[in-house]
Amino acid sequence: MKASLRDHLTTAAFLGPFVVIFALFLAYPLFYSFYLSLNKVTTLVNVFENLRFVGLDNFVKLFQDKLFWWSLLMTLYYAALAVPLGIGSALLLAVLINNKLKLNKLYRTAFFLPYVLDLFVVSVVWTFIYSPHYGILNRILETVGIHYFAEQGFLGRPETAMPAVVLVNVLKGAGFGMLLYLAALQNIPQEVYEAADIDGAGWWTRLRRITLPLLKPVTLFMIIVGVTGALNAFVEIYAMTSGGPSVNVGEQAYGATWVTGYYLFDTFYVKLKLGYAAAMSYVLLFLAVTISLINLRILRPRGER
Amino acid sequence: MGGASADPGKARVRARRVRTVILYAALTLAAVVVLFPFFWMIVTALKMPGHAFDSEILPRPPTLDNFRRVFTEYGFMRYFLNSGIVSVSSGLFATLFAALAAYAFVFKEFRGRDKIFAAIIASMMVPGLMYVVPQFAIVKKLGWMNTYRAMIVPHLANAFGLFLLRQYMVTIPRSLVDAARIDGASDFQVFGHIVVPLTLPVIATLFLLTFQFHWSNFLWQLIVANRESLYTVPVGLAMFKQQHEQLYTLKMAASAISIIPISVIFVFAQKYFIEGVTRGAVKG
Repeated sequence: MKASLRDHLTTAAFLGPFVVIFALFLAYPLFYSFYLSLNKVTTLVNVFENLRFVGLDNFVKLFQDKLFWWSLLMTLYYAALAVPLGIGSALLLAVLINNKLKLNKLYRTAFFLPYVLDLFVVSVVWTFIYSPHYGILNRILETVGIHYFAEQGFLGRPETAMPAVVLVNVLKGAGFGMLLYLAALQNIPQEVYEAADIDGAGWWTRLRRITLPLLKPVTLFMIIVGVTGALNAFVEIYAMTSGGPSVNVGEQAYGATWVTGYYLFDTFYVKLKLGYAAAMSYVLLFLAVTISLINLRILRPRGER
Repeated sequence: MGGASADPGKARVRARRVRTVILYAALTLAAVVVLFPFFWMIVTALKMPGHAFDSEILPRPPTLDNFRRVFTEYGFMRYFLNSGIVSVSSGLFATLFAALAAYAFVFKEFRGRDKIFAAIIASMMVPGLMYVVPQFAIVKKLGWMNTYRAMIVPHLANAFGLFLLRQYMVTIPRSLVDAARIDGASDFQVFGHIVVPLTLPVIATLFLLTFQFHWSNFLWQLIVANRESLYTVPVGLAMFKQQHEQLYTLKMAASAISIIPISVIFVFAQKYFIEGVTRGAVKG
């Protein structure tokens, strides 16, 4: 009996640090957040002490909030740009690298490096590149006669702000997808291609009939990563556009990059409406879990490697 | 006759050579696009203050004055130190805690083991932004605002790290551990002398990934540390940017301060980063 108690204590010592922190900072917050979402902040002095219970009010308001629906639309727009661009650039780099060239490793390092760098800092650098007038990108375009971006830059125009923001993330993350595609490409047995050669298949047929189907699991994974990234998009928006520039839809002004993540931050940190922000984060959670479950459904049966 | 048979061979060699040249050209173009921002950052950081938009591409003469000024006049020495403290200690403790817990999940029997593990893994689905509001509330209630504790502790339970280490530890032959136990070694001895040495590559991977994550963690450090003496590099840069929108050369020098150390570590420890990233992606 004594040995067994001792054994339990040992187990507890091993698990303790992780489990206590997990419980306090990752599990409990989910419940606490739900509690917050049913409450309203009444004083700005000590926001957490004077909460008033309002039931489902926050959720009702949220679904009537035009700005919230707009933010979901912008999040969808973000994903609609980020997913195909992300997959395309990753696949392109992987195909280029997958050629047994001498300097392969060097190029692989170059492409993957930006992935590990700080997104906020990278966004600050890009803001500088995107600057109007003397910004380097505008200057390059002016030498070929494009003056379209001279006055407002790329981030100041409503129609280019979102693509410009997404491009930063796509270029930073391309090396990550490249690694995944590269691993998948190298897993395709050479005999499959040899058999196709014997059957007289051209490169287009080989690409369409062999390569792309075998890369499908990675592509599905990339879609999930891209959509999740859009749901979590905040840092790049904060650094580059603060949700702007403004666009008028009817009589209302909206932000061209006002994604849900940024709206959440604004509600919580700037406006201090914690209950409302918590309700918003529950919608994010619902969307993220739905996507993850779709992921499990689609990916599992096909089997990972 | 001989000439006719040699020609196709030559043509094939030439075709291969052309292909190689085209591939290198495409790769180089892609590398230029991907790396241009960092080139431009460094080039601008080496220009004299006020000359950020000069028409010359390369600074003439290059100057380190911007670096000197952000370090000495604008407090980036302190921010750099804070970033170091936060990311090294977060990396060390997160890795240690994950390794200890992984050991228990692999080598110990206890009630609810698989269910607890599943719950921890399921938490990876939760979007990070979801945690910001409640974690902030908890830290505030604990009275931790504006402390290193607040910047570090909430992120020390790394579910991904636990998953990564457990996945690796289950491949360690059980007989090895059992033999040591029979010889009278305690769990801590088994952990320290057998399991950790065998898991070292994955531990290194996890340390680097958590270090990198905390070096780049922006939102959390922005909201829990409002005191200048606690700013990390990105938060310091955000504040600097708000106050000195026009000081481009200094801004780029401050950016380089964050980017150069990670790049150097990356170049030397690339293998571990790649390992972690690809392993994480194929999780079941």
